[in-house]
Amino acid sequence: METGIRVLLLSAAFVLGGCASIHHLFHRHDDAAAQAPNDAAAEEGNDHPPRVIDPDVERRKITVPKIRSHNVEFGVQYGALSIENFGTNPVYGFTAAYHVSEDFFFQGAFGRSQAGRTSFETLSNINLLTPSERYFTYYDLALGYNFLPGEVFLGRKTAMTSAFYLLGGIGSTDFAGDSKFTVSFGGGYRVLPTDWMAVHIGVEDRVFQSSLLGVDKLTNNLEATIGASVFF
Amino acid sequence: MQRLPSARCLLLVLLLAIPALCDAREYLQVFVVAPYLELHTGPGRGYPVFNVVDRDGSVDVLVRYTEWFKVRTERGVVGWVAEGDMLHTVLADGSAFTFNRGDRAGFTSHRFEMGMFAGTYGGATLISAYTSLSFNSQLAAEVSVGQFLGNASNGVVADVGLTHVFMPEWRWSPFVMLGTGLVHTEPKATLVEPVNRTEQTAYVGGGVRYYLTRRFFLRAEYKSHVVFTKLNSNEVVDEWKLGFAFFF
Repeated sequence: METGIRVLLLSAAFVLGGCASIHHLFHRHDDAAAQAPNDAAAEEGNDHPPRVIDPDVERRKITVPKIRSHNVEFGVQYGALSIENFGTNPVYGFTAAYHVSEDFFFQGAFGRSQAGRTSFETLSNINLLTPSERYFTYYDLALGYNFLPGEVFLGRKTAMTSAFYLLGGIGSTDFAGDSKFTVSFGGGYRVLPTDWMAVHIGVEDRVFQSSLLGVDKLTNNLEATIGASVFF
Repeated sequence: MQRLPSARCLLLVLLLAIPALCDAREYLQVFVVAPYLELHTGPGRGYPVFNVVDRDGSVDVLVRYTEWFKVRTERGVVGWVAEGDMLHTVLADGSAFTFNRGDRAGFTSHRFEMGMFAGTYGGATLISAYTSLSFNSQLAAEVSVGQFLGNASNGVVADVGLTHVFMPEWRWSPFVMLGTGLVHTEPKATLVEPVNRTEQTAYVGGGVRYYLTRRFFLRAEYKSHVVFTKLNSNEVVDEWKLGFAFFF
């Protein structure tokens, strides 16, 4: 009985030992399989570091969106121009402006009107000017100054920015067959219903030297306009 | 049944219009690194502050008007931020948000200039405007046009040439000019047999520019034009002018 138990224990120890040895063999084989590339990598490691992840990713080109500017303004205007001695007549024109700062802007303006008849012409029934000479065409380059900026409220939810502005400039007036150096000054009021659009009301005086009616004098030509402009 | 095609057309038009109605434009996103970013109701120093964005918050930059940026916060609040405050924001990668500013550095080195002048051209009153494209801080190509109004004649001048600024970093920076152009002269009708004429010119000149503030500077210049007339001798015309200019 005692011998049988010893044989059983010895058999069990043998089998377990055999299994352990076989497992060890398998284990060693796995280790060897894993070791092989490591050895190879270690051999390569002398030249290059081992590669864990192959970075096969194309770098995306990131474009930063551009910021739009609304500093350039183009506009049209229509109104009335009082040409000294020649009555008040409709005038239309175009403007282009560049807003340099919140306070200052440069503006170029072009306009055209057609003069009426002087009282002398009406009374004596003669014409001092030909029809083409009656066109009053002007342009000017002006510096503008914004002042009294504010907001206009329409109801509870709508607020529009606004500002008064002063203008002073120089230019030329083509009238009665001659071009005259002209100084212009005036002002206006601008309301912006949106960021890109404005509505204007303006008054300007265009002053130039004229000897058309026999006396050399400064003539004042007052202009009142209403206009709309778009910002780019 | 007659109304069905028109309803389809309307639907089609609406479908086509949807992309146009939706604002698909991408805006630049910047992040606040200052304690807070103030939003004003309008693009001006007088407009009140009505909202703030905290540090690390982001805003989309919608549009720029002079020294102001219109932004939209993450909560959809839209307001205006001053240029100086936008310097305290960074881009998504952490780099500083930089933009073209109207300051002394911009005066030294910029891309474009525009300006207007008053002066004299051969004794006649001159109104003139110019624009220039800078290749670097010293050399620029320049185009100018002007109208002169005199007792004897009126006319227009147009020039194209190069300008070299000697010390662009100086507040008073001198420059020299060289170029060519055209002059169109219209003698007054009171003279005998007036004939309009267009002649080529060449000019050499110089001047000085003075930085005022922001984007503004004064510019005074002299040009000596040689007018290539059809007569035996060429004509020399002096041009003096003074004006305002700005860079951008």
